[in-house]
Amino acid sequence: MNPKQSSDPRLRRRLMQAAPWVFFVGLIALWELVCRVADLPTFVLPAPSAIAQAFVDVEFSRWMQHLWATLRVALMGFFISILISIPIAIAMMRSELLQRTLYPLLVVIQSTPVVAVAPLIIVLMGSDDPSRVLITCLLTFFPLVVSTATGINETPAELIELSRSLDAPIRRETWQIRIPYAIPHIFSGLKVAITLAIIGAVVAEFVAAEEGLGYFIQFSTSFFKIPQAFAGLFFLAVISLLLFKSVQWTQQIFFAWSLPKKKS
Amino acid sequence: MISRTSRALLMAATLAGNLVGTGMATAADKVVYQLDWLPGGDKAPVYVGIQEGYFTDEDIEVSIASGRGSTDAVTKMATGQSDIGSADIGALMAARAQDDVPVSAVYALFTQAPHAFFTLADSDIETITDIEGKRVATSPFTSSNAFLPLVLKENDMPADAVTLTKSDPGALGPMLITGNTDAIIAWVTNVALFKSQAAEAGKDIRVLPWSEAGLELYSSSIVAADKFLEERPEVARRFLKAFAKAVAFTRDNPEKAGEHLHAMVPEVDPDVAAGQIRDTMELIFNDVTEKDGVGVFTPERIKKTWAYVSEANELPEDALDPETAVKRGFIPESK
Repeated sequence: MNPKQSSDPRLRRRLMQAAPWVFFVGLIALWELVCRVADLPTFVLPAPSAIAQAFVDVEFSRWMQHLWATLRVALMGFFISILISIPIAIAMMRSELLQRTLYPLLVVIQSTPVVAVAPLIIVLMGSDDPSRVLITCLLTFFPLVVSTATGINETPAELIELSRSLDAPIRRETWQIRIPYAIPHIFSGLKVAITLAIIGAVVAEFVAAEEGLGYFIQFSTSFFKIPQAFAGLFFLAVISLLLFKSVQWTQQIFFAWSLPKKKS
Repeated sequence: MISRTSRALLMAATLAGNLVGTGMATAADKVVYQLDWLPGGDKAPVYVGIQEGYFTDEDIEVSIASGRGSTDAVTKMATGQSDIGSADIGALMAARAQDDVPVSAVYALFTQAPHAFFTLADSDIETITDIEGKRVATSPFTSSNAFLPLVLKENDMPADAVTLTKSDPGALGPMLITGNTDAIIAWVTNVALFKSQAAEAGKDIRVLPWSEAGLELYSSSIVAADKFLEERPEVARRFLKAFAKAVAFTRDNPEKAGEHLHAMVPEVDPDVAAGQIRDTMELIFNDVTEKDGVGVFTPERIKKTWAYVSEANELPEDALDPETAVKRGFIPESK
């Protein structure tokens, strides 16, 4: 039944909630069916059941070890990016000279493919966590700088004028007017950055690592264990999704006022 | 007068103190071993050396770093990230000819070229010359690509005798089995892996090694940072002594070696690793090592290897004295 045609709002809401799950389960069932009917070998396309089996076959402690290695780098890169990018965005807002100087450099850094630079970083800094965190930071900090700067610049001019007419110091103007106005933009940037952080960690693991989900996927592929590689990929997608959701929950819990008002 | 018990306690304390002191004075030498790729059966000896305690016996503590190809491994040793490891001597020679990297070969591992054409057992490619006019898939970064024109030349075929496509290493087996290509280029160390993949589709693989078609050269070798060899020559000697023992153990006990590898890298299946080890041992123990000894680089074969490498990489033959890429005197007596 089309939810729009339903007159019962509760039924409509339940249908809306169930729709993505029904679609997802249906897709998996179709995938399984195609693999079984066409008798596809696992190296062409492994069936979901084969992927699930591969997932179970790997010891839980190994999954946790690889997960922790990726998560550690991704989160360190993400939080260091926050610590770097928000002050840069504020500094750029306060100084046109700094903006003119830094912005082109940031664009150049962002335009340089990290995949191409990653091997050089590993050679220069070694193949430990610091180089992997730097690779992650290079991917994540730009969207944060841009979104924070955009938010800060969108503060209504009349509020800034009011603040200045009352002789408010710059620090107060920044913390009490500009930053709150930037919060929705900052969270948009954080949502992009957290998914990029996982990508950054995986790219770094592709170049040099002894553990981590990226390393695990590459390892599995080199041994033609395609279902195992898919299991790693699936795990990675779930982690990305959970991290994305955790940013959303953080906004809902601590900055609920910054969320767009729901349509009644 | 000190009682007998007190004297015994005093002696025990002195002995313990001496033992602790000795232990501190002779802390194991740390060595970082660089793999040229991810862990696998062909990399088993270093894991065997650790698990069987050969390195500990030599008072060496080994940690292993995985790499992403021979060039990557050589670069990491040149920049001091690792001390010693495995890499293709061809990649090392090419690097030394172009950039004089401070890394040298110290122990010959593969005394035969590992490169080969893999076809399906029921295909009409039965000898290397049958490859003419066929579709061949290879991975973009393998050193085999450089030697392909030489193999074709050795067999009186033009450089464009095959239609070459490049693909991800993981896709090569499926491409061959599904008929998307007539042959692939891969290393004989992975015969067991490709065979198991083909068996899944009810097929079998035929292997045509390039070493049987005239490509006579050294390949994967143990190479070391010059800094490591200059500053800690005794550690290098002790390392290679233990490594040689591990190579012999791996040859004699492929299953046990596979289990040792699995114990340190649980993702590696011990049976698959044992299969890879058996495939690999033919490259380490063969007519060449029978004649020259294990680990030995002879000047003639080094010269021949460089002749191939320089031609394959389009480098002038006088760009490098190949002997400068080798440092002898670190390997144990092997004959």
